[in-house]
Amino acid sequence: MRSSEDGLKRAHFKNHWLAAALLSPQLIILLFFFFIPSWKALSLAFVQVDPFGGKSLFVGWRNFTELFASESYRNSAWLTFWFTIVQNIATLALAGALAFATDHIIRGRFAYRSILLLPYAIAPVISGAIWAYLFNPTVGPVAMGIHAMGLPWDPNLRSGDALILITISAVWKHICYDYIFLVAAMLAVPQSLREAAAIDGAGQLKRFFTISLPLITPTIMYLFIINMVYGLFDTFPIIDAVTSGGPAGSTTTLVYKVYQDGFVMLNLGSSAAQSVILMILAVTFTVLQFRAMDRKVNYQV
Amino acid sequence: MNTIFRGAALTALAGSLAVVALPVLAQDKTTIEWWYANGGQIEVAIQDMIAEFNTSQDDFEVVGVRKGNYEETFAAMIAAYRVGQHPTIIQATERSFLTMLHSNAAVPVNQLMAEQGYDTDWSDFIAPVADFYVVDGAPAALPFNSSTGIMWFNADHFEAAGFDKPAETWDEFEEQLYAIKDQGISECGMVLNSDFPWSLLEAYSTINDYPFGTQANGFDGLGTEYVYNTTPVVQQVERLKRWIDDGIIQLSGNGMSPAQLFNSGTCSTWSASTASHAGVEAEAQFNWSATLQPHEAGVEPHNSNIGGAALWVLQGKADEEYAAAAAFIDFVAQPETQAWWSEQTGYIPVTNAAYELMADQGFFEEHPTREIALLQLTRHEPTDNSRGMRFGNSNQWWAVLLEELEAVWTDQKSAQEALDSSVARGNEILRQFEQLHAGS
Repeated sequence: MRSSEDGLKRAHFKNHWLAAALLSPQLIILLFFFFIPSWKALSLAFVQVDPFGGKSLFVGWRNFTELFASESYRNSAWLTFWFTIVQNIATLALAGALAFATDHIIRGRFAYRSILLLPYAIAPVISGAIWAYLFNPTVGPVAMGIHAMGLPWDPNLRSGDALILITISAVWKHICYDYIFLVAAMLAVPQSLREAAAIDGAGQLKRFFTISLPLITPTIMYLFIINMVYGLFDTFPIIDAVTSGGPAGSTTTLVYKVYQDGFVMLNLGSSAAQSVILMILAVTFTVLQFRAMDRKVNYQV
Repeated sequence: MNTIFRGAALTALAGSLAVVALPVLAQDKTTIEWWYANGGQIEVAIQDMIAEFNTSQDDFEVVGVRKGNYEETFAAMIAAYRVGQHPTIIQATERSFLTMLHSNAAVPVNQLMAEQGYDTDWSDFIAPVADFYVVDGAPAALPFNSSTGIMWFNADHFEAAGFDKPAETWDEFEEQLYAIKDQGISECGMVLNSDFPWSLLEAYSTINDYPFGTQANGFDGLGTEYVYNTTPVVQQVERLKRWIDDGIIQLSGNGMSPAQLFNSGTCSTWSASTASHAGVEAEAQFNWSATLQPHEAGVEPHNSNIGGAALWVLQGKADEEYAAAAAFIDFVAQPETQAWWSEQTGYIPVTNAAYELMADQGFFEEHPTREIALLQLTRHEPTDNSRGMRFGNSNQWWAVLLEELEAVWTDQKSAQEALDSSVARGNEILRQFEQLHAGS
């Protein structure tokens, strides 16, 4: 292993400057969009600051201790955990079911795929606004339907309804992404294996669970992580458009809280402390995931 | 139509021509930016006003940029200020007055006008506006769009239920709303505005002369504390909660604006800014009207508090940019401009001269609802409780208050618990502001 790696490096980059030059665009982007902001966040996390930057007071760990003492922050952490997991599993399950279904359709396959992929082309804020309208308790058509069935529905007043609504919106938006990866993975499953199983008398579901599923686990693991990142960080515009974090903070995820505290309330110190915590979480999570994956997942499809 | 302004189409055309011609003209004109936060009909009026200024002289060019709502505009301004890319003029809410005043980021507008050789009459602002914005005898910012919350109502709904208009006291008003609901006239007696604490809790306190905070609601110093959890504001929140539970009040929620619910005729009443005139007049297809906010029985009603925003000139600009800003502010402060602006939008005329001009033109006789805000703002000599609210970092407290009140609507807390907790959290925010600005 070792020698072949060395061989690779030597063979391609005799000139160190060339390697550095090729790497530099990526490094410069990282510097400006990751290292400098991270440093800024770290330096802001320990001060209380006038939003205009005129005055700042060093407060040590107070921004952090206040966060951990705050019930709303702990609630937000639990909510984020719940939301990310539920959204992740629901997205994978639905995208998997759809991919499985289209994999077995011969006629009109292309049309189905195109329609299924459409939501991904819509900006999150716009899709969020549409969902918010459809489920608006006073005027929304879907909400009218729910009320007609005699069920209560009001995401403005019922925390559970608000949570369901952002989960539906987030899942709907991300199904397409998972779907296209799963379809590709299923196409890569050797036809011969499935045919052999069919000859042995296995039905479609049995073939899916015993042959296709094990072979597409690397894709599923990859999607699991991507969905996790999506749920943690990318659902921000949906939450903003659908519930604005309410009612009573019941849909304020950690990322939304960073935005609220930082950009709406201009409490930059606390917001920076929160983003530092999120950064540590994200790094820890990624390291753990990759360690687990490297051992358990077979990439040699 | 006013002769100064030759119609929206012409001015819009002039505006777009000015933008096209900008690269050519830019060499001999000083261009400054003004970031504002109003959308809809009001934004149209703002762009018309800017176009009118730009065509009125050859030296300066104002470019108006909408940066989102008030919060987004403020956040964008702060981000830009920290890197020195800020606009020359910013529109900031009355709520952020103390934050702006202590920021050291603004040039006091009276100082700017004096330095640039303008002789502005600062004593002509109408009382509630002057009371709020004037510090040491002169305003720190130019009051631009000032408003107060009034009670809008669907006259058809009220007539069908046998009422002339909303009652003067909250108890009678409550009976009316329940009657409208019980008779099946409307499924939505009132739509709760997104900034409802402004008119239904703050203005409620000033109208009934209840203290909202200590030290004359913050006018007397940074050591102020919120006290609204010890006043009938508690009963007011309980009342709103009861209305929500009984289906009298609807929350528009995201995806729908409160204005849409009122303007479409869905909801019978709406407690909202007088600046909603621009939208209601354009959209409502039924008999609508407006009246003064209700008060508690047995109380002599005081004036309500102002809202809206002011124009602040920011630090760190070149002399010619300040000359442009001063010319523009002088233009905005002219009685003719003020009167035109008020007529277009529904915001109150902020100077006595503009008010008189509108009255002389017979504007209020033709549009009686336009005068309600002024009548409400001036119906009593301002007291310590009714002069207004000057609290630091109030956008933080505002978010806290909304969150706590939502906990009441969702049955997680009682009105008293939520107000206690919002006061405790709000006071911490005030102490942080005091600590940061001690001695300034």
